[in-house]
Amino acid sequence: MRSNRKIRITALLFLAPTIIGLLVFRLIPIGWSFALSFYDWKIFDTPQFVGLGNYAHIFTSPTAHKVFLNSAYFSAIYVPGSIALALVLAVLLNNGLRSSAFFRGAFFLPYITSTVAVTLAWRWIFSTKFGLLNNALDWVGVDNPPAWLADPMWALPAVALVSIWKDVGFYMILLLAGLQTIDPTLYEAARVDGAKPVQRFFKITVPMLSRSLFFVLILALVRSTQTFEITYALTNGGPNRASTTLAFYVYQNAFVEFEMGYAAALSYIMCFILGLLTLTNFYFRKRWVHED
Amino acid sequence: MKTDIHPNRGTGRGTLFALYAVLIAYALITLMPFIWMLVTSFKEARDVFKLPPSFVPTKLFTDEPFANYTEIWTQRDFVIFFRNSAFVSFMAAIGQVFATSLAGYAFARLDLPGKNWLFALVLVTAFVPVEVTIIPEFLIMRGLGWIDTFLPLIVPSFLVGAFGTFMLREYFGSLPKDYGDAAYVDGATPFQIFWKVYLPLAQPALVSIFVIAFINNWDELLRPLLFLNSDELKTVPLGLMSFVSQYEASWTLLMAGSVISTLPLIVIYMLTQRYVLQGFVGGGVKG
Repeated sequence: MRSNRKIRITALLFLAPTIIGLLVFRLIPIGWSFALSFYDWKIFDTPQFVGLGNYAHIFTSPTAHKVFLNSAYFSAIYVPGSIALALVLAVLLNNGLRSSAFFRGAFFLPYITSTVAVTLAWRWIFSTKFGLLNNALDWVGVDNPPAWLADPMWALPAVALVSIWKDVGFYMILLLAGLQTIDPTLYEAARVDGAKPVQRFFKITVPMLSRSLFFVLILALVRSTQTFEITYALTNGGPNRASTTLAFYVYQNAFVEFEMGYAAALSYIMCFILGLLTLTNFYFRKRWVHED
Repeated sequence: MKTDIHPNRGTGRGTLFALYAVLIAYALITLMPFIWMLVTSFKEARDVFKLPPSFVPTKLFTDEPFANYTEIWTQRDFVIFFRNSAFVSFMAAIGQVFATSLAGYAFARLDLPGKNWLFALVLVTAFVPVEVTIIPEFLIMRGLGWIDTFLPLIVPSFLVGAFGTFMLREYFGSLPKDYGDAAYVDGATPFQIFWKVYLPLAQPALVSIFVIAFINNWDELLRPLLFLNSDELKTVPLGLMSFVSQYEASWTLLMAGSVISTLPLIVIYMLTQRYVLQGFVGGGVKG
């Protein structure tokens, strides 16, 4: 007879770190943060209960509105941009050529290298007068290229571009794994039937890849709301908050202004929006994702 | 007849040429920041602001080709940041292997009432954005008196990790049960079965968890920013950011520092590429 008690004790011991960690670094903070969102608390003062005051303030503050719009704008560039590019790259690399391994490695490289270091390189590339980008644009004949990071119109797209550059290799790898599960004879049959490459792409590749695409969509959506390192090292949210997204605004409120209660309320709104977007996508999943 | 099964193959020389043109063009965009970083780190300071920008690493043709590197490494304390990052990332990676191998094994193989609920809770809470939990986390670390020590960057890794737990639960679950049963008949305790039989078999998964945790912690900016104040405790990303504010214009030094902070990750990635890619594809989520 196997001694069940011994197994249970072992299981409990094995899971003890997880239980403690879950409690101290997940569950308690999640509850505490929610409670904090009803208080006005600058870290060195005594907390004041304000009810829904923080939330009311968020919905009426022009700065918060700007930040919400920035976040939406960022996601609107980042999510479709990174997925479309990842899909193109994955399809191009799914060809059995020997050189594909090199390109795959190269495209994945930005994802695993130090974010701050590569972002600083980008900062130098974006530099208005001496930067590589504007000198290249000048060389191909573009007059008056934008000041990028110093230009309120271009700072946020610049952050989004660097973020896409950084993450696209990761999504590409996930899509490549999906592509490799597609039965090659489908393409052969389509070719015999005279389907053109574009038709093959939309009628075979996209539907057969829809499960991987959905997964990548959710990942990209979540990631698009959590912009910190790149913003911090590229623009620090400026100029004039032009590139401040919600996650960065939470950081600024909590750890620059030390408005802990207000920041907690913001973080809960962020979590709520993210949850809503994710659920919406799961709701529409069955409309376009093919199950086997 | 020639088998011609890949969607991009067999459509002629022109298509192949276009394919390579696109791939090479995007590879250039992908690699340009790295190339520019490397070139700038080997330039003389006065050549940085020359127009048009040049790709000539002028420093390489002087008596001290590595002067930017030696300056940032020794005179600007980069050696200290590097050591701190290496220590913190190594310890955190060990912590993740420790915590997630125990938890993953228990979730896959040991019976405990309610363990599936616990597992679901670990996964679900991992999707709560860090912005929600970071304020209380900061208050907890402050309450423990851990601010300005490495403890807040290491201890949580020894406790819980959703990604690794998920991955190892799958991995241990896929290994044959017979091995454990055989060891049990020979009188092995549950711990011995884990330690002597299953853990060695999970080595590939453990390597990918270690490497991914190392990379993530090396890359981390938010927590070091919040938890570390002293210069001598700064990690590489923090050190780089403090250079930016102090010497905004010394791009040669800054890029040398960036190369130094990127190099270990590239080397580790190249050595363990197989494990890392498998880990990322298998687990799907980072962190």
